[in-house]
Amino acid sequence: MSVLEVQHVTGGYTRKPVIKDLSFTIGKGELVGLIGLNGAGKSTTIKHIIGTMLPKEGDIRLNGVTLKEDTDKYRTAFSYIPETPVLYDELTLREHLELTAMAYGIDKATLDARSEVLLKEFRMEKRLNWFPSHFSKGMRQKVMIMCAFLVNPSLYIIDEPFVGLDPLGIQSLLDQMDEKKKEGASILMSTHILSTAEKHCDRIILLHEGRVRAQGTMADLRQSFAMPYATLDDLYIAMTKERDHEELA
Amino acid sequence: MKNLRDVWSSRFMHYIGEVQKYMQFIFTGHIAIVLVFLIGAGGYQYSEWLKVVQTDFPAEVLIAVIIGILLAFSRPTTLLREPDQVYLLPLESKMFLYFSKALAWTFWSQVWIVAIVYIVSIPLLKAVTELTTVEIWTIFLLTIVLKYLSVRGEFSYRYSERGQMVWVDRFIRAVIFAAAIYMGLHAQLLLAVIAIVISVVYMIVFSKKSVGEPVPYEHFVKLEQNRMMSFYRFANYFTDVPHLHGSIRRRSWMDWLYKFVPYGKENAQKYLVFRTFIRTDDHFYLWVRLTAISAIIAAFVDIPVVTWIVAGALSFATTIQLKQALLSSGEFRMDMLYPLPDHARQLAVKQIVRLAMISQAIVVGLCAMTQPMFYIAFIIVLVISELTSKVSK
Repeated sequence: MSVLEVQHVTGGYTRKPVIKDLSFTIGKGELVGLIGLNGAGKSTTIKHIIGTMLPKEGDIRLNGVTLKEDTDKYRTAFSYIPETPVLYDELTLREHLELTAMAYGIDKATLDARSEVLLKEFRMEKRLNWFPSHFSKGMRQKVMIMCAFLVNPSLYIIDEPFVGLDPLGIQSLLDQMDEKKKEGASILMSTHILSTAEKHCDRIILLHEGRVRAQGTMADLRQSFAMPYATLDDLYIAMTKERDHEELA
Repeated sequence: MKNLRDVWSSRFMHYIGEVQKYMQFIFTGHIAIVLVFLIGAGGYQYSEWLKVVQTDFPAEVLIAVIIGILLAFSRPTTLLREPDQVYLLPLESKMFLYFSKALAWTFWSQVWIVAIVYIVSIPLLKAVTELTTVEIWTIFLLTIVLKYLSVRGEFSYRYSERGQMVWVDRFIRAVIFAAAIYMGLHAQLLLAVIAIVISVVYMIVFSKKSVGEPVPYEHFVKLEQNRMMSFYRFANYFTDVPHLHGSIRRRSWMDWLYKFVPYGKENAQKYLVFRTFIRTDDHFYLWVRLTAISAIIAAFVDIPVVTWIVAGALSFATTIQLKQALLSSGEFRMDMLYPLPDHARQLAVKQIVRLAMISQAIVVGLCAMTQPMFYIAFIIVLVISELTSKVSK
């Protein structure tokens, strides 16, 4: 059974839809990359999945339910790492972890056990009592990542995760993602770092002007673009050129 | 922009707009009302005191010192901005056009302070000295002239010395000006004129020294930034100033309070809102300010009805402003995604506001202790707060 099902979703900010008739699924234990040019609709797609925007048409199901049917079950099913870290200026690192654990109904013992591991992995043990104003962009990103992994949900939604992280941070994140995948969690990751996406994603969804242009494994994509030895970068550029042709036509 | 005069005009319009925007809030806010009361009470006390003041009261010395100090504070308003040190650089030799406009504004925007203080002190002068009306107004003119010299003087000093040791300069000017006023008040006009000549010479020394010096952009820009910051900080007591939004302080001495919100899913929003209230200066000082006003009135005004009305009005103001501040939800926050009931945030805000208002009621009740039926103030704060919380959306 799919963890996430996006079925014929149309939506956007104004009357003119940004995403059009979008459909894809993510299965258990899958790492799926959401790739597209700026303005292709990646962020809008993510906003619809996390429920800060509601689809004008179509359905989004997480573990079988829509947000309307069972808000609690839907929200517990995922955690989200935004592109720009969103932290509470008035909470320390420790309090961010504690608040997240409380909100997701995690007991104190589990919180302590999980946060110890995460703090060590991301080398933040010594900053527990710091406020976000003293954190660098990378550290802020790490706080978001730790909060997300603390929850241990069925689906991780990660928007542009590698920007601002140092190489060790990137490695830690990839390790964590790998581990969670093995435990059966699914991950939807939007990124521009195509080489990393190509290396780590099980499947790729190429978004283009609000529609799914192509999706599948790297092999599927190469076939669909008729470029047998292409890297994801090549395919991405091919897609860009395709758009230019359309515009000229 | 054709020339430097236009640069000044457009800066000036922008600046006035900014000041006006916040002045509106200041004069419609709750502190304005308190100020009116204080000025009224002060004026009444002053007039009563004038009836009994002894003729040996050292009015001349006191007025000379106060006016002297006020005159010495003549910080120039240049409205220079950081990019100016790059873009206005080619116009360096013509900057005097700009600065003459700036100094004119500095003079007119500051002269009224000394003028008002002097005019307020005229009844005192009439009561304890034998100065004639003409003499009193001559000294008034002398004060205005000294203010003009002071504005030019401080500007020249800052220009030539780049603001270093400006306090020494201010002290020297304060002494000369105070001496001039003191001589004037003793009808020693000749000595007063000598003091003026000294201050003119003092001013010319630095004015000469600054000729040929490059414009000290860095110093003036910093001065401008500080001035605007202090204005915004002041305005922030009355309204939300976006430039200043939310400075955060840990206030760890209040950490023990958080124990009252135990660990648990149902308390997640309360955990957050409680810390937001305690640690965000805007919210916390709003409560402190309004509670303090209410408490002071309760402690020092002997008419129970007045304390009750003030307690009720301020309870209303605190409740509604705190509630709106804590509920405001413009930006995306992570707690919007939490698997919590929809009304969790609202409920948490309601409870934290209630806690804040119970504390206010206790403080005000304690301060009203000396009055008969002091518990009524306590009850009024609570009842008005609960009603406000219930009725407001």
